[in-house]
Amino acid sequence: MSQPSPEVYEAGKGMDAHNAAMREIRARNDQTYDPHEPTRVWVDEDNTPDGVRDSLTIILNTGGCRWARAGGCTMCGYVAESVEGGTVAHEALMDQLDVCLDHEREHADEPCPLIKIYTSGSFLDEREVPAETRRAIAEAFGDRERIVVESLPDFVEHDRLADFTEQGLTVDVAVGLETATDRVRHDCVNKYFDFADFVAASEQARDAGAGIKAYLLMKPPFLSEREAVADMIASVERCAEYAHTVSMNPCNVQRHTMVEELYHDGGYRPPWLWSVAEVLHETADADALVISDPVGHGSDRGPHNCGECDDHVQTAIKDFDLRQDPSVFEQVSCECERTWEAVMEREKSYGLPLAR
Amino acid sequence: MTEFFEIHARDGPARIGELRLTESLTTPALVGDRIDDAGSLWPEARETPAGDRDSLTVLPHRALPAGTPDEVQSAFAVDSPEIDGPSAAVLSSETATEHGSDAYVLSDAQGLVGHARAFVEGIVDVKRAIPDDAALYLPGVATPANVALLAYAGVDLFDADRAVVKGTQGKYLTSDGEQFLVDLDELPCACPACQQSVDEFDREDCAAHNGNVLRARLATVRARIRRGRLRDYLEGQARHEAWLTAAFRRFDQQYSYLEAHAPISRRNELLAASEESLRRVEIQRFAERVTERYENRFSNPLVLVPCSATKPYSESQSHGQFHDAIGFRAHTVSMTSPIGVVPQELECTYPAQHYDSVVTGEWSAGEIEFVASVLEAYLERNDYPRVIAHVPDDYRQITERVEESLDTEFEYTVEAHPTTSESLSNLADALSGELKYSKREREHNTVRAIADYQFGPAAGDDLFEEILTEGRYPKLRVHSDEHLATMVPQYGTLALTLAGAHRWVASDAPTKIVEIDEFVPHGSVLAPGIVDASEGIRVGDEVVVRGPKAFAIGRATMHGRVMAEASRGMAVDVRHVEER
Ligand code: SF4
Ligand SMILES: [Zn+2]
Ligand SMILES: [Zn+2]
Repeated sequence: MSQPSPEVYEAGKGMDAHNAAMREIRARNDQTYDPHEPTRVWVDEDNTPDGVRDSLTIILNTGGCRWARAGGCTMCGYVAESVEGGTVAHEALMDQLDVCLDHEREHADEPCPLIKIYTSGSFLDEREVPAETRRAIAEAFGDRERIVVESLPDFVEHDRLADFTEQGLTVDVAVGLETATDRVRHDCVNKYFDFADFVAASEQARDAGAGIKAYLLMKPPFLSEREAVADMIASVERCAEYAHTVSMNPCNVQRHTMVEELYHDGGYRPPWLWSVAEVLHETADADALVISDPVGHGSDRGPHNCGECDDHVQTAIKDFDLRQDPSVFEQVSCECERTWEAVMEREKSYGLPLAR
Repeated sequence: MTEFFEIHARDGPARIGELRLTESLTTPALVGDRIDDAGSLWPEARETPAGDRDSLTVLPHRALPAGTPDEVQSAFAVDSPEIDGPSAAVLSSETATEHGSDAYVLSDAQGLVGHARAFVEGIVDVKRAIPDDAALYLPGVATPANVALLAYAGVDLFDADRAVVKGTQGKYLTSDGEQFLVDLDELPCACPACQQSVDEFDREDCAAHNGNVLRARLATVRARIRRGRLRDYLEGQARHEAWLTAAFRRFDQQYSYLEAHAPISRRNELLAASEESLRRVEIQRFAERVTERYENRFSNPLVLVPCSATKPYSESQSHGQFHDAIGFRAHTVSMTSPIGVVPQELECTYPAQHYDSVVTGEWSAGEIEFVASVLEAYLERNDYPRVIAHVPDDYRQITERVEESLDTEFEYTVEAHPTTSESLSNLADALSGELKYSKREREHNTVRAIADYQFGPAAGDDLFEEILTEGRYPKLRVHSDEHLATMVPQYGTLALTLAGAHRWVASDAPTKIVEIDEFVPHGSVLAPGIVDASEGIRVGDEVVVRGPKAFAIGRATMHGRVMAEASRGMAVDVRHVEER
């Protein structure tokens, strides 16, 4: 047997430490959830390769991500939204589905052509969502145009996707790639897979006639603002080859995460909205739809600028999502751009963060 | 090994250093534009940098910001390669260890600055973990208001990043804080950026001004360190921001850290302008030594008297009058804020004749508490047949408190004021019938008291049991069959001869020893020649220098830990040497 290289050894050691720390942090969370209610459901509109569509977004409560139970990603608090006992039975998941359909009837004029299902884990993991449930959900939405299901690359398999394609649905698998840089994904995010696994999953999806929507994370812990922006620009460009849509999302400070620990002690600031705009602007001609949906914009725990301009910049980002026109960013300006430029120029990863 | 950083002068933990780049930099200073960053290992692997004499190379790093969990800190620690040129290693206050670099960059500074407790504990931990003669760089935190405190804590390197960023936010910085640009009616500054009307002054100008003020503050700080007066400056300056005051107080509680860095004596006057002064190391050390080392050897009554503005006290008019009334029939101890109590034998000893207090005639609660507790400890250790308190009314709140807690009674002799003829004759009357002590007894006891103070409890008897004194007080020379020591009037200390040094080594008093290599030092001992040194050595201490070839006595110019670690600089000023 060959010796592990120092790099591999280091990755293992780092992962163990991250997981140990995250387990301890998550253990402080004692909330539990009703397995008969979805975590969240809402109606919105989204840009797809076929144009802008009304969408129903569902976050199913499936008992949470297995990786998170091992410790998991440094910024992810979704495990907090899991149920007691860890698994949710078929019947309970069907109850959740009913709640979602009721919600849609109440809030949308007609059934949404676009359905997006997230699970705080992997919808395609049969330990999370049994095959029976998956098929029932595929049938329930069989009359729609497009469905997006979230999954880690490991579970992207031809047969599982076939349940949806057989209904005549256009299928996208949403993969939380976070970054195309393995080193950042491993050491800063603590997400275990490699870019190569993402590529392999995209091939599986293509074989099954499905597309890939890649989710990227802007500014995991330990990176300076400039490093975070550079990582995103490079990542968008690299995954455009495998994904028709790239959703690049700024990190926010979620409860019971390592990012929250850093934030509390003064070692982390979520990214500037100017940085989001910068990446979208710089990657506007990438060969994919590039969108961003900043959560918690304008708050201390979310991506923010100076407080004066946050809503304007957020509006410009949303506008860009729908129109893909980088000139929207020329419409917004603020005195704090100068501060952001100074931060981009001066902030070092050994002096994080330079400004609040 | 710190090849490219050298310390030239110290004032407590603060120092004047030299970062020896092609164009050398006198620290504390801004180093931001002299940095060559080899890069973060978080996003990518890095080449070992070649090193460059023109700049300080920050070695490849995986910086750990404030709040990083402990296990993550240790799992991601990196080694520092050796390079040919000035180098800086990045570390956090948790992971600080020696890396062999010239400078150390603190990655969690943002989490420390602004929080008094975290700051003081973090800095003290880091300074203990890294070599004393390496430079410490706190990136992204310096402002004109905090930089003096940071330097006082022992930080050497800064940058203008925070000041510039604040400028872009329209925050106008001064040494006493920040103001929003929009709130300014005029520009209260003489720097080039401020030479225009306030209406035209924009955020870019504000950033330039902030940088200018920061540089000016650093120049002030350097000047203060050179003169040994940084502390006095801070006592006034730190009160503008709550966290600075709190940090400053907390530093004072880190007595052992500060004490190690504080010289035994200084040339300059010590200005005691505020209640903070009570916590100064010099003051605390004097009180500690008077109450724990000093021993009264007179069998006469005690007379407590107020201090005088003139120093030493015996040269003041009031003390001349007390002296005439007492006529060598009592032991005189002066009560004073902020020093506590000063026995007559120690009136020359630093800082007793070097302080200057802002006399307000009002005692603060802190002063009362401090002087009373010192007097109480003093009287617990030293027995007197009688205690006469020849003090004005405002001192009675102290003396009465001590009477009560020791369950004893003092005799009071003052009417209205201590120097009225009535008061003085009361004092003389109170002592009628008491025996006089001789000049010889007075001089011998002075030498022994100073020895207690300087070398430890009972050292006075141990070293100077059988002696003769020559010369006129305060320039006393101590003999037995040979010359042993000379009193140094400026500091009220003893300078030993070789014979005195041999006695010290042979005595039970703890000896401060500097072990050197095989050479005979002439004039001075440099740090590289030192094999080991007692931890307890302080700047200004008498030290015995000992090596296979030589035995010498001199005065320390570094503290013990630095002597043992430093790779350059003068460590001992040698007075006498003999070959062996
Ligand atoms: S980000 Fe995804 S993989 Fe990571 S812990 Fe959260 S749910 Fe699990
Ligand atoms: Zn703004
Ligand atoms: Zn100015």
